[in-house]
Amino acid sequence: MDKKAGVIDKEAPVQTVRDTQELLRAPAGAPLVPLPLEVVVPEARQQTPAVRQRATRPDARMHGLGQTKYIDDFYLPGMLYARVKRAGIASARILSIDTKDAEAMPGVVAVLTGRDVPCNSFGPSLKDQPVLASERVFHAGDGVAAVAAVTEQIANEALEKIKVEYEPIRPVLDPLESLHLETPGIHAPNPNIYGHKVIKKGDVEKGFAQSYRIFEASYRTQMVEHVPLEPHSTVATWDANGRVTIYSSLGRITLGRSDIARTLAVPMSRIRIVATVVGGNFGGKNEIRTEPVVALLAKKTGRPVKYTFTRPEEFTSSTTRHPLVMDYKTGVSKEGRILARQIRLVLDGGAYCSWSETTLAKALILSAGPYNIENLAAEAFVVYTNKTMTGAMRGFGAPQVCFAYESQMDDIAKALDIDPLQIRLLNVLREGSLSPTGQTLQSVVVRETLLQAAQRFGWNGAGKGTRA
Amino acid sequence: MTKVTLTVNGETRTASVPPEMTLLRMLREELNLTGSKLGCDVGDCGACTVLVDGKAVNSCLMLAGQADGRDVLTIEGLATMERLHPIQQAFEEKGSLQCGFCGPGVIMSAKALLDDNPDPTEQEIRDALAGNLCRCTGYSKMIEAIQAVARGESARPARKSA
Repeated sequence: MDKKAGVIDKEAPVQTVRDTQELLRAPAGAPLVPLPLEVVVPEARQQTPAVRQRATRPDARMHGLGQTKYIDDFYLPGMLYARVKRAGIASARILSIDTKDAEAMPGVVAVLTGRDVPCNSFGPSLKDQPVLASERVFHAGDGVAAVAAVTEQIANEALEKIKVEYEPIRPVLDPLESLHLETPGIHAPNPNIYGHKVIKKGDVEKGFAQSYRIFEASYRTQMVEHVPLEPHSTVATWDANGRVTIYSSLGRITLGRSDIARTLAVPMSRIRIVATVVGGNFGGKNEIRTEPVVALLAKKTGRPVKYTFTRPEEFTSSTTRHPLVMDYKTGVSKEGRILARQIRLVLDGGAYCSWSETTLAKALILSAGPYNIENLAAEAFVVYTNKTMTGAMRGFGAPQVCFAYESQMDDIAKALDIDPLQIRLLNVLREGSLSPTGQTLQSVVVRETLLQAAQRFGWNGAGKGTRA
Repeated sequence: MTKVTLTVNGETRTASVPPEMTLLRMLREELNLTGSKLGCDVGDCGACTVLVDGKAVNSCLMLAGQADGRDVLTIEGLATMERLHPIQQAFEEKGSLQCGFCGPGVIMSAKALLDDNPDPTEQEIRDALAGNLCRCTGYSKMIEAIQAVARGESARPARKSA
């Protein structure tokens, strides 16, 4: 093989199997065949021609002219408007849903409940979200019934005529309460802890024993909504051959299509998703939300249906950023070098899993901070609570843990009377440092970045021991 | 139903609308002018900003009937077939728009400001944009663009709109 720049010939570090025809034909239980693996080394520190160049967006002209068509800006002939009745109660058993009065209203074309949904569960990882809650309400933003009407206003009025009888169940709102094994399972028989990961490196007990001082603190962050300026919006229309076209503000259309196919119980080949310009995503439009309801209403009525979230629905019924409870225990030498760190993260997952597993892993991997720590023990849990579901949002857990470890760095610097910049420079990762998960890091410029930033904003140690 | 007649972007338009219909919905749904956006429907985000008799208003808070007989300017009324409005030009050049959803409202607020005060200070620009929320770009590039217009940097004849 030719020696290409950036590619090193190397035996695979572990046994690897390629899905070749031969291997597929091999009898079950045949030994795995080791294959050479190309290890690609990134061409670090190369400046691309794009850096420092000014660019204009190709779509900026249409945006500025007001000519960009977002979902809510278009209309199909005969189109109906959908609205969804929200539970408004965090945790309850649904005893009955009476839609008769709503159905009888002039202008109401169809009413939908969870019983009309062919497969009433979905989710980008665990399939734990109902399209419309039919037996159990898991959080206040759950939809319990949907209406399609000739105007949005009639649809809104129809929602008020839908009578739902609830038997309240005591909600679990605190993630630490949910963590206790004796707390009743929100999605029983499944446990409330639905994700767990551990990272271990070195020996924390030994590290703490060698420490000059040990700092312990707990940090919490709150739930944050993405607040895209454009609320979630969907238009669905079926053709006579039983194919549905869904115009949606959804960001991940291929993933979404499989989930929509599941809920509608139709093959993916019958579903066409048209992703148009999105008015802000930030992670909140990475999974299906209103698409199944809109598609089912369109099927039931035989007419195109549009559903755009209200601003309150955007807060109560779309995903949010995970609130975290973060316990940090850090042992340091007299000079401020971190000798050991122990971390426990509890992620408040809200009512449904969504992208929690990704968030859990990323928060955990980054929880030690950009610091070289020989002895590390970090553990993360994600639990269900009866609150708005949490999911993907810019950084997947990284901003939360950053708040915790940097707060603690400041506390340690203050207690040891060390300059906050110096304590960071003493501990930062360097070229070739090992990450918490054992990856050899390349292209590491934390130190240079810090020094340059300190120079730019005129840090001169004046803020020694205090927040700058 | 209420009959509403108003001047929109220089043309007289009439529509029969329910009395509770807002100006925003009349523009979007009756007149098919969808450049003004519905972001919150309670006057917080400013995506629906239009000019009524030269003043910037949240069209989601004004009833269509209240605009009867008045002069309304929307984002669609700024450019001509030949040229962009200088504010549109500057927003494009300075990279002031990302997802673009807040853009029409911001540009209309900027237009109201510059019509009234051709040489605003940065603080005056910030005050004028106080009712417009942006979630992607932030406000620095918008302020830069408005300052460029005030300085006349964006007044040159624009390229033909694509």
